[in-house]
Amino acid sequence: MTNKAIVIGGSAGSFKIVMKIISLLPKKIDIPIFICLHRLRSARKGFAETLQINSSIKIIEPIDKEFIVANNIYIAPANYHMYILQNGRIGLSIEEELNHSRPSIDLTFITAAEYYKENLLGIILSGANDDGANGFKKIKEYNGTTIAQDPQECEVSVMPLSCIKNNCTDKILTIKEIIKEIQFFISFNI
Amino acid sequence: MDIHDEEIKEFIEIFASLSTYNFSDYSEKSFRRRMEKIVNDNNCSLTDIIKKVKNNASFLEKIVRDITVNTTELFRDPKVWLEIQKEIIPKLKELNTINLWHAGCSSGQELYSMLMFMNENGLLEKTKTIGTDINTEILEEAAKGNYKYRFNFEYLPNFDQVLNVIPEKEKIPYSKYMDIDQSKDLIKIKPFLLNKAEFLKHDLVKDKNIFSRKFDFIICRNVLIYFNNNLQNKIFDMFWENLNEGGFLVIGLHESIMGPISAKFIKKGQCYIKKSANG
Repeated sequence: MTNKAIVIGGSAGSFKIVMKIISLLPKKIDIPIFICLHRLRSARKGFAETLQINSSIKIIEPIDKEFIVANNIYIAPANYHMYILQNGRIGLSIEEELNHSRPSIDLTFITAAEYYKENLLGIILSGANDDGANGFKKIKEYNGTTIAQDPQECEVSVMPLSCIKNNCTDKILTIKEIIKEIQFFISFNI
Repeated sequence: MDIHDEEIKEFIEIFASLSTYNFSDYSEKSFRRRMEKIVNDNNCSLTDIIKKVKNNASFLEKIVRDITVNTTELFRDPKVWLEIQKEIIPKLKELNTINLWHAGCSSGQELYSMLMFMNENGLLEKTKTIGTDINTEILEEAAKGNYKYRFNFEYLPNFDQVLNVIPEKEKIPYSKYMDIDQSKDLIKIKPFLLNKAEFLKHDLVKDKNIFSRKFDFIICRNVLIYFNNNLQNKIFDMFWENLNEGGFLVIGLHESIMGPISAKFIKKGQCYIKKSANG
């Protein structure tokens, strides 16, 4: 089976949407999903637990150098950057913030693109800065697929707009449509 | 700016030939990001950096400083400190002397947090503390114990979450351990704590135990994440060798011992305890 994955990034206004997406996933997804959301530095606890309530898929804040397992959802831990390593493990770091953010969506997206290449689906949701735009560019360089949430539907539209402006967004979709795309991407095994 | 893998490889080889620093087992993605940052900050190519490093020893040291990540906080992750209180402190109270090693201590905020913590537990007098880092300049900063208020004040609530947990007890003021002057943008660690720490240069990649003693307690948090899995395992072996039986190792909240050496420790939360020789 192809080694493929989904990466999702967002900040202001994206948490509820991520909750919704997770609650509508099939029971078994057979691929890993990586989620990188900006959140308050002090809010270190309870995030994964809250998401887990609505999901039968394991939601994990990973340990540094842990092996990626299909059918898991990985959330970037608060205050850490999350990298996808070429040996199929996850790397964490507390280097400087990028785009005023740690975790940085760009770093997760870029390293995921380098590992999953054309078999990566990147999704950018509501958010208030341009983190993710460089990541989208990298995903397209490797012929992956990129989707931005319809800015009209976003609580804060800066993040998807900056990805769209960058000319590296394949589709602009509503949440309802994004959920369908995810389900299709998961079920479609090359 | 994109840097080629070959350039990074060359950089690592040149460094290994010119100095004692070996970055070949650093974790690839974060190392690449350090390189990108160095190239951007210096506004030149990595080839230029390599050229300059060859002719200029102090520039080489500067690059080493820029490669290492210096992030440390007062009482980072209060939850871990409460675990230390429960799992480690009672055992340390049984010892006559406590040898403490803070590996990769950076500018020392966490090390001084530990000394405050030891003091509140009545253990400061019998604790011998060594803080080490690869970066000598940051160790000088650590020895001074002067920190910018604006970069550190947000962690002061952690102090309360760790040291002021019992509501009935009289609150321990920050001023017991630190002089805080917001107008001067300064947090100064009090001299009686500064005097309790010794700082030494140590490179976890190649240096073994250079201290002619074993330790009861090793703290190394969010340092090994910059190394690949093999090097992490080697260092965990080295820590094990240098712990007394029943000694403790505390690592970062999102770190874990994954290699075979994990069988030689008992794990309680973020606290690892060295098993005795007969299991």
